[in-house]
Amino acid sequence: MFDLSTPLARAVFALMMGLIALFLFFPIYWLVISAFKGNAELYQIIPTLYPHKLSLGHFTNAFEQGHLLRNLRNSLIVSCSAAALNTLLALYAGYSFAKFRYAGRRGVMILLLSAQVFPFGLLLISIYPIITDLGLIDTRLGLILSYIVFALPVSTYMLYSYFSQVPSEIIEAARADGASELRIFHTIVMPVSIPAVVTVFLYGFMWSWNDLLYAMTLIVSEEKRTLGPGMLLSYLNEVNSDWGGAMAASIVASAPIVLAFAFLQRWFIQGVTAGSVK
Amino acid sequence: MAFAVQDSGKGPAAALRVSPHAERGGLKARERRVGWLFLAPALIAFVAVILVPFLRALGLAFTRYDLQTPVPEFIGLGNFHAILTSPEILGSFVTTAIYVVLATAGSVLLGLSWALILNQPFRGRAALRAMSLIPWVLPSTVTAFVWGWIFNSRFGVLNALLTSLGVIDYPTAWLSTSGGAMTAIVITKVWFSVPLFMSFFLAGLQSLDKEQLEAARVDGAHNLALLRDHILPHLKPVMLVVIVLGVIGNLQHFDTIFALTGGGPVRATSVLSIEVYRRAFDQWDIGMASAVGLLWVATILPAAWFYLRHLLKGA
Repeated sequence: MFDLSTPLARAVFALMMGLIALFLFFPIYWLVISAFKGNAELYQIIPTLYPHKLSLGHFTNAFEQGHLLRNLRNSLIVSCSAAALNTLLALYAGYSFAKFRYAGRRGVMILLLSAQVFPFGLLLISIYPIITDLGLIDTRLGLILSYIVFALPVSTYMLYSYFSQVPSEIIEAARADGASELRIFHTIVMPVSIPAVVTVFLYGFMWSWNDLLYAMTLIVSEEKRTLGPGMLLSYLNEVNSDWGGAMAASIVASAPIVLAFAFLQRWFIQGVTAGSVK
Repeated sequence: MAFAVQDSGKGPAAALRVSPHAERGGLKARERRVGWLFLAPALIAFVAVILVPFLRALGLAFTRYDLQTPVPEFIGLGNFHAILTSPEILGSFVTTAIYVVLATAGSVLLGLSWALILNQPFRGRAALRAMSLIPWVLPSTVTAFVWGWIFNSRFGVLNALLTSLGVIDYPTAWLSTSGGAMTAIVITKVWFSVPLFMSFFLAGLQSLDKEQLEAARVDGAHNLALLRDHILPHLKPVMLVVIVLGVIGNLQHFDTIFALTGGGPVRATSVLSIEVYRRAFDQWDIGMASAVGLLWVATILPAAWFYLRHLLKGA
């Protein structure tokens, strides 16, 4: 791409790279090392650049107090269910958009995609009374159903672009053999679409795992609280701020999603940027 | 809603049988029927959870619906009149504009630079690309903790750095001054938007014609000329998508702003998402919240139109 054979070009490149890398990665470094500092070392005006005395106190506290584990468990239940539901809905819809031609298809597609620009906060205003009327306020089910809002439009589009690339000939051939449409989808199309399915599942999971707004509004009771509002209320409330605890809990809360990405990031990025670059 | 989900499993099975001897007209009708059946579960969920609440919220914008008025009462444009005469709410629009412009510009600039850097071959590039995604996937509460701690007025590393470098004489209370709080929420948003923007730009850079670039270089074009005359023009369509997505995302963003400043100090960071939330769930003034929300949607529409047109080009 660029010619870096001159010392000046190399210096400019290295400087830019260093500055942006510092901006992107220093906060993560700071998060991790702060979690391993004891309170005496943590609360200093001029901080130490690495933990001079390694302390696991914030982690043992977090697990002993119990609320973090409870938040984790709730987030896991809600996020897995929401991701599964979202993937299931998007699978069939994406396939329908990609491989069937019928009147109204384009209209529904536009409608579904335009939903991405309805502000989540505005939707929440009227989802709240609906969920309340259904008796689902302060239930995990209510939160799971509401999370359809976040991921369904983009998930459907991701699967639509993926299925569009599956050759129609294999579907036609199976049809000629007399296979039912559901069977064709489940036994022929789905097996070759595992990367897309995994991507969409992870996408839905990420939205629900990382959400704060819906979780803090639709869940009231402490025993059902998920990670986002749970951590905010436990570590930075009006009474005290426990920054060490917040950092330790942050590492625990981020681990599942960061690990999932470490394994799946290539598929994922292809899925998310698909269709936007031509 | 729960029923809609179950439908996708069993309901359509019987109807989806296809006979290979079907006539042409019958095939078309079948394609339509099967297409709609596959679509049905998602469509029902969409209507129930997204479309109906959206239209309902738009309708509530024209009502009085608050703690004293438990049943929505039509008042026409009353809420909008109140908005136009409320310096607080009008201020929210200005705050939002500042936030969206700064956060989008910062993310595009750094995302593009980072993509150009990571497009250059060097050892460890793949690992660095993968690591760069981390800020994007962290839960919003974690992101707010990370930056809240960095910007902390007493023990924050930023104040320590700036005072020891002599940039400032006394520690700044970042999150409790209006300029500082805006700086903090913008930097936080840019931080976790850069990875996504970088991914879009990297994808765009992959289709760059390397031979053409080589030829230009042989003709004596320098790095900056290459960037200006070849790389940036090539990235123009991606740039448009990224800016539009950035604007839509930033107009809607709530989580890290709420966790870091709650819209404060006073109203310095009270962007529309915070404003609507506060009106609805702190003051229970649903009518007013919906009216502000409707104007909020209106600000998103121009960007949304570009985005949709682009996405549907192939469909």
